[in-house]
Amino acid sequence: MARIEVNLELNRVEGDLTIGVTLEDGVVVDARTVGSLYRGFEQILVGRTPRDAMVITPRVCGICGTAHLYAAVLALEQIWRLPVPANATRIRNLCLMAEGIQNDLRQTFLFFTPDFCHPRYSGHPLFERLMAAFEPFKGELHRETLTMTRRVLEIVAHFGGQWPHSSYMLPGGVVTPPDARRLLACRAVLDELREWYERRILGAPLEEWLALASATELFAWLERPGPAAGALGLMCAFTRSLEMHRLGAGTPHMISFGAWCDPQRWGPPYDAHLAPGGFYDGDSGQVSPLDQGLINEHVRYSWFKPYTGGRHPYQGETIPDFQPGTDRYTWAKAPRYGDRVVQTGPLAELYIAGDPLIRDLHAAEGGSAWLRQFARVRRAAVQLVRARDMLDELAAHLDEPHFLAPAAEAEIDGQGCGLVMAARGALGHWVELKDGVVERYQIVTPTAWNASPRDSAGEMGHWERSLIGLRVEDPDDPVEVGHLIRSHDPCLVCTVHFLESGRRLRLAP
Amino acid sequence: MATLFWLQTGACGGDSLAILSAESPSVEQLFSSHGVELLWHPSLSHHAMRHHDELIERIVSGRQSLDILCVEGSIVTAPRGTGLYDSYQGRAKMEIARELAVRAGVVVAMGTCAAFGGVHAATPNPGDCIGLQFDRAQPGGLFAPDWRSQRGLPVINVAGCPAHPHAMTQTLAWLAAGLPLKLDELNRPLTHFSTVVHQGCTRNEYHEYDIEDHQPGGRACLFFNLGCQGPLTRAVCNSDLWNGVSSKTRAGVPCFGCTSPDFPRDNDLFRTEKIGEVPLRLPLGVERPRYMAYKNLARAAAPQRVRDKEMEP
Repeated sequence: MARIEVNLELNRVEGDLTIGVTLEDGVVVDARTVGSLYRGFEQILVGRTPRDAMVITPRVCGICGTAHLYAAVLALEQIWRLPVPANATRIRNLCLMAEGIQNDLRQTFLFFTPDFCHPRYSGHPLFERLMAAFEPFKGELHRETLTMTRRVLEIVAHFGGQWPHSSYMLPGGVVTPPDARRLLACRAVLDELREWYERRILGAPLEEWLALASATELFAWLERPGPAAGALGLMCAFTRSLEMHRLGAGTPHMISFGAWCDPQRWGPPYDAHLAPGGFYDGDSGQVSPLDQGLINEHVRYSWFKPYTGGRHPYQGETIPDFQPGTDRYTWAKAPRYGDRVVQTGPLAELYIAGDPLIRDLHAAEGGSAWLRQFARVRRAAVQLVRARDMLDELAAHLDEPHFLAPAAEAEIDGQGCGLVMAARGALGHWVELKDGVVERYQIVTPTAWNASPRDSAGEMGHWERSLIGLRVEDPDDPVEVGHLIRSHDPCLVCTVHFLESGRRLRLAP
Repeated sequence: MATLFWLQTGACGGDSLAILSAESPSVEQLFSSHGVELLWHPSLSHHAMRHHDELIERIVSGRQSLDILCVEGSIVTAPRGTGLYDSYQGRAKMEIARELAVRAGVVVAMGTCAAFGGVHAATPNPGDCIGLQFDRAQPGGLFAPDWRSQRGLPVINVAGCPAHPHAMTQTLAWLAAGLPLKLDELNRPLTHFSTVVHQGCTRNEYHEYDIEDHQPGGRACLFFNLGCQGPLTRAVCNSDLWNGVSSKTRAGVPCFGCTSPDFPRDNDLFRTEKIGEVPLRLPLGVERPRYMAYKNLARAAAPQRVRDKEMEP
């Protein structure tokens, strides 16, 4: 039996990534995701004025700064028990959806599908079509995605001034009111995007695709000439020919914090969402309401000052303790829900919110790399529809306030959390204020859940587990690992204390 | 063709994503019509990482020419000057940046992190972050102040958090054409740093008549109470709009001075520090006594429609 340990490097993951894997006869039997950049955002926030988090935290991540801004503002509003005007929530949602559409399209067509153009597939019957669609800077979809994602971000700029890295959500609302000019400009963007999505990605009307409710309906629909010629059809045909619908399930448990605050119902206890969140227990098959009190982070295999077991983020600490050459191997912490290893992302979001097609596909085939990627493309459509709803609601309520300035005495000390669904999944900011400044700030990002290392009990993280059993043909060019890891939409820069590439620490076999 | 290698150090990826919003020229046009040959970009390249490693080896050994090195992200030097808080294959990124830079025709710091240290260098600077040739406003970072690249230039600082998309693509197009660039005292290209953010702000009439907002969410000027750094920050945000449509100050977000070496300031970012009634930091080059006299007159002259904040920014 040939047993080798290799470091597999990956690009196109928002930061570089190294995964240490052990292969036996070409099959992954052990895996460790290594994060080797430490930036210390949580320390930078300590001692600062609370509102400064609206400037500092978007800069955790270049691709999902709107989500960080949203989480940061919700945390302060919870502490100060502020009412949030419905129009402010609508504008926040609209911008988060625009950022989400940007992410879902870029992840799919700039990061995931370029792998289909690998020389290894040159003999595949679909190869010519794959190249014509997906080849970087040449393929039609790659080029059009650059154009369309540029366009959709205009929506964020209309309300936030710029994307990325603005600070237009503040405790009490947003800084810009809706008006006819902005709403119509955003509408034009959405209309253009929808037309493109229908023509190029679906090959069918959006409503028809969103109405598909079962695996049987989907597979019949994919056979029809329009959808078969679309980018989604091509992606499905190719990835399924590689058996990606049988690979990379990872942990069976999923978490969603709930997508988009409900503008009409948002207020204490701050848990009303347009798409409800929760925890899906992969063993029982049941979805239960989210209990954020069950979230805890372990550092047993991380380069932080050790503590025993897991700690809730309100008790969390982030004290670097860089110890290369030990069995600790990453700057990522290991978040757990109770003692469960969970995954998060569009699959979790849509499943938990009850999307019938996603639920039926999951029931029929289980979780997989294909289903994660498929869910991401579907979520782009959900966001297109929801974003239009936000515009229509804003138009119907133009005269309502967009900002209610908090009274000075409202800005009390205390604890609060802001939980949102970022493009990559569940994102939480847990904040403690004392003497009017930040006493503690803990961030748990979606990639922290997905790319987590082992916990105190030695349980692997989701990605690590998703790789076990995968056959790798050429460790120097691990294209299979690329497909699988990129299907998780990894954001290495987004792990806060976990960034970019590192080296696997060799363990005695 | 001008070869380009893009290295990410301690970064959020924001400059890489911002540059995708550039339109004149776009990133695609840099490659198709401005003679830029992309050797590597961590998010856009589709070759296996083996190719990346070989490229670095060939550049360092002189077998591959490197015309433009772009660095995005702070230079992380912790712990204890080793740089290992940010590593690649066990080597400090800081060292990789250094050995690529000495081979490069020009080195461009893309964003405030690579230029000056940036947000990661904010107090207490947990990663001991610095810029390529500055440590905040202090000359000297990873490289000494007198360091020059192969073309005889200091590190060119396309500052901003993120850098303005066109500040990035236009600087690259100019450099790829081999044209000379004039730099300011912080080594930022004068073409994109000879304008203050205040120029072109649609709240200017409010500033002119000293009609100020005391809370966010309004229509008036953000300079006197809400921390806006627009009148003292050099950047093209209001003369070349973001994403083609707006800017932070137009939308009602104060300018945080993100192209400046001291970004982010230590004090409250949404409050203007004042001495008496007058901001501590005045618009670039303005004298305090004259400013007070001017503002008092201006306020007295303000038309009612401006006093009543009827004008949409």
